[in-house]
Amino acid sequence: MADATSPVYINVIEDVINKVRDEFINNGGPGETVLYELQGLWETKMMQAGAICGTMERSSANKLPVPGGPITPVHDLNVPYEGTEEYETPTAEMLFPPTPMQTPMQTPLPGSAQTPLPGNAQTPLPGSVDNSSMYNIPTGSSDYPTPVSDAGGSTDGKAGRPSPFMQPPTWMHQRPPLSVDVNVAYVEGRDEVDRGTSHQALTQDFFMPSGKRKREDFAPKYNNGGFIPQQDGAGDSASEVSQVSQGNDPLGRCDTITTKNKEILARVSRSYLKIPQVDGPTPDPYDDVLSTPNIYNYQGVANEDYNIANTPAPNDLLASTPAVVSQNDVADDDDDDEPLNEDDDDDEDLDDVDQGEELNTQHLVLAQFDKVTRTKSKWKCILKDGIMHINNKDILFNKATGEFDF
Amino acid sequence: MATFELYRRSTIGMCLTETLDDMVQNGTLSPELAFQVLVQFDKSMTEALETKVKSKVTIKPYYAGSFPSSQQYVGHLHTYRFCDNVWTFILQDAMFKNEDAQETVGRVKIVACDSKLLTQ
Repeated sequence: MADATSPVYINVIEDVINKVRDEFINNGGPGETVLYELQGLWETKMMQAGAICGTMERSSANKLPVPGGPITPVHDLNVPYEGTEEYETPTAEMLFPPTPMQTPMQTPLPGSAQTPLPGNAQTPLPGSVDNSSMYNIPTGSSDYPTPVSDAGGSTDGKAGRPSPFMQPPTWMHQRPPLSVDVNVAYVEGRDEVDRGTSHQALTQDFFMPSGKRKREDFAPKYNNGGFIPQQDGAGDSASEVSQVSQGNDPLGRCDTITTKNKEILARVSRSYLKIPQVDGPTPDPYDDVLSTPNIYNYQGVANEDYNIANTPAPNDLLASTPAVVSQNDVADDDDDDEPLNEDDDDDEDLDDVDQGEELNTQHLVLAQFDKVTRTKSKWKCILKDGIMHINNKDILFNKATGEFDF
Repeated sequence: MATFELYRRSTIGMCLTETLDDMVQNGTLSPELAFQVLVQFDKSMTEALETKVKSKVTIKPYYAGSFPSSQQYVGHLHTYRFCDNVWTFILQDAMFKNEDAQETVGRVKIVACDSKLLTQ
């Protein structure tokens, strides 16, 4: 169809340009160069829209490259985007690519682990632990800054943020013990690998205290240590009861950790003590941005979690809490929440489509009518001189007849 | 000569409108001159459709089932509206057919001005 349409369009363009030439040249008009600029831009847009073919009589040389250029890059961009279906993960990946580039500059040790880290590190953080929420926000915005901080010195107070890079290596090393727990929770909670990493991240939190003591010794621990200090500050104030908590979950999860330092566990447990308090309030107000991200992540609601996780601002208090809640609640919550989310999405999509089509119908026929008649529910119309834009094709017609039932 | 602004909503008209908008915002074109170009486009497009285009099109609903004998129309007139001498139809599952090809579309809007207004 374009074959027949393109010459007509070119004819119209030339006709318009020729007939307004006097207006451009005379009476203090902008001049003929502006007229040719107008024609060039117009034809370029037409070619980009696919409304006219590449064979232009004049100035085609300039125009051809332009349409070709923008179109091809668009395709390239689309491909990567489509590849990442998950909301959070794509963003993380998008953010990371630049970071790895910078990270290699920082230190040789993180460099090897860096590539795996970005994907693993961020995802676990947002989903799994309260800290994750902390991490998420900082990571998103701070991805660039983090490399800088590392370069300057991991020991800095903000070292925790750079940790995302570092963290992945940590749980990579520690996996064997932790991995078992992680997988279980992971399977139950979610299919996504990211979630599993998040659980691991939780375990990391426990390790974190150790990291504080020996940042230099273990690169991964470095990062943890950076994170921990913040949590610990809050946790320390909490209470001594932490020891009881240590015996419960933390010990089972962090067998490896116990070897490191009991004191660390105590600190962690303290954080746990704080956590339950935080959790109590959080579940009630889903609206609260801070609380929601943690809950959602653990529950395993993929779509909502991602959106919320990104938006919420980082809270120090929340960071520690999510870990405890997540593991306990994950299995139950996941089953309930997932179906609901799926349904919601479907409904929204359908609604959007319907509204969009009614408001702005992509398939459009512009014409003049000679006659419109109706017999009962049967309509007939005779149209002429029309432009149809259907299925991304422009079709011109001299006459059209339509019959349809209402 | 009377003209319709109708065709400005077509691909070629939208491209021209965008171009004129850009040039007016750049200050390379005065709004008055841009408007003159649009009016000239209305004339040229209408004339080209009358003189350069000979194609004929039929618009019908298409059958839902694989067997036409089922006689179940999926396609139908979803909305009709006549206001200010402009007919607007929204068709569902319509088939557009001319001598060269045919296209089917889930939903299409038809906007048609009264041809008699041009001849008056």
